[in-house]
Amino acid sequence: MSAETTSIMGLFESEEEALAAINEIKELGWEVQEVHSPIPSEKISAVLKRKKSKIGWFTLTGGITGFITGFSVAIFAATRWNLIVGGKPIISWFPFFVIAFELTILFAVFGNVVGLLTQVGLPTKQDDTYDPVCSGSFYGVLAGAKPEESEKLKDFLQNKGALASSFSQTT
Amino acid sequence: MNSAITERPATGRIPIFSIFALLAGAGFIYFIVLAAGSHPEKAWLVFLINYLLFTGLALGAVVFSTMMHFTKAQWSRSLSGIAESFASFFPVSFVLFILMFLGQEHLFPWIGEDLHGKEIWLNVPFLFTRNLVGFLVLYTLGFAYLYHSLWFRLDRGDSSTFLKQILFKLWKNGTTDPEKIKRRMTFLAGWFMFAFAIVLALVGFDLVMSMDPHWFSTLFGAYTFVKAIYSGFGALIILAAFLHLSSSQSFTLTSKQFRDAGALFFGFSLVWGDFFYCQFLVIWYGNIPEETAYIIERTMVQPWSTFAWTIFIACFITPFILLLSGKLKEFPRFMIVMCSLVIVGFWLEHFLLLAPNYLDSVDTFPIGLNEVFITIGFLGLFAVSIITYLRQFPELLNGEVGEGT
Repeated sequence: MSAETTSIMGLFESEEEALAAINEIKELGWEVQEVHSPIPSEKISAVLKRKKSKIGWFTLTGGITGFITGFSVAIFAATRWNLIVGGKPIISWFPFFVIAFELTILFAVFGNVVGLLTQVGLPTKQDDTYDPVCSGSFYGVLAGAKPEESEKLKDFLQNKGALASSFSQTT
Repeated sequence: MNSAITERPATGRIPIFSIFALLAGAGFIYFIVLAAGSHPEKAWLVFLINYLLFTGLALGAVVFSTMMHFTKAQWSRSLSGIAESFASFFPVSFVLFILMFLGQEHLFPWIGEDLHGKEIWLNVPFLFTRNLVGFLVLYTLGFAYLYHSLWFRLDRGDSSTFLKQILFKLWKNGTTDPEKIKRRMTFLAGWFMFAFAIVLALVGFDLVMSMDPHWFSTLFGAYTFVKAIYSGFGALIILAAFLHLSSSQSFTLTSKQFRDAGALFFGFSLVWGDFFYCQFLVIWYGNIPEETAYIIERTMVQPWSTFAWTIFIACFITPFILLLSGKLKEFPRFMIVMCSLVIVGFWLEHFLLLAPNYLDSVDTFPIGLNEVFITIGFLGLFAVSIITYLRQFPELLNGEVGEGT
């Protein structure tokens, strides 16, 4: 953002208060920049309307690759030797399924890890606005407003029940 | 709102109790007629299949409640109350098991045969005694668990139903410390689940595996109780979905609860598929004629192979593909269809495991109207027990949950 905005962090004690505040901040035209939450909250994620995570697609791709790889490795190995073991066909999908299953799980996990590393937005610079109580019992709502309106925003947050409210400048 | 549930059905409401009772009675008469006819083993086969299926359903659903309490789960309090209603089928199942004594010559193919030493295990007195004792222990543990669980759920202010009056009288003389009752519940829940595994494993070996006395599979007992859990969870979801959708009941579940229950159901579909695959793969790979004859007859020879593939698609492939997504689990109507498909699949699975032992030559399609009618009769009996329980304890349908976890 090229315009100057002031960010104010409001710390709320409960999910309902944080949700109500987020909704009102958006209605009043201010920007909700970040929400720090101690526990995963579906309601807050839904209200913030962020884009759906792409990590699942990485996992699915990994899983499908693993499934095909498993069968391929087993079939390749079996066809090198062409041995008939116990009267079974050389390429028998039934026991090969075990290897395919294991590699499905493995590659899905790899895909998930790769997806996580690439999609979570690492590395980020130091976040000065983060308050450690947000890992404990408080919901932190970081709202941004133009510097002229920053006092209004601060009062608003305190009216909504925010316990404390820190102050930082961004451009 | 309370009175609408405790009142006897007013005019205009569907008398579901009467309908199911009628179906149960009709099925019973039909069974007697069939058992007295020229092919009594067919009648007793259907009796056994339905007995195993519905007992498994009832036990699996009650296991849900004990499991949730034992793990201190909070999300499922209202579901557990419904799950406990399946315990009403326990006494019915007990009586049905005793009734099977009457059909022993038709039920057990090993009576009078040379079993090469297995006679010390497979003889009628020992089999019935050990299974009856097992069921007694299991059902007693179940009812004891229920006795304590209901302490938290029932509304002391309203003692209009018969069972509530008895329970209130019993509780007046007992302890009033909720922590003590919770601890007893945990103790009983743990032992119930343990007894569930042991008794259902025994039933699997005695009533299903022994019907081909020369075949064995070591994992069969565990396979039986995994089947019971899987189908029991399905039955629980069906009942919860029906109650949720019914306009005359105030019972509701959140979509998150449906999703979690559906996720558990999906998880156990994988467990069931896995236990099936474990046995199948080992027997397939070992290729020992003693073990393979049973499998070959049921999976590679017509008409049974069609059954086998139908069951696999209905009970594993379809739930796996459709329940991977989170969204579908939230629709009660979809879950009713899905879980019913799986339970019908399990009826067919019991049929597949048992019928080749009784039916010598299969020219026509082996399932006819006889089997359907008797099955509907059993379903009626099952529904009558559950409806009776829910009518006796109407606050379970209120959606308000007591503590107790």
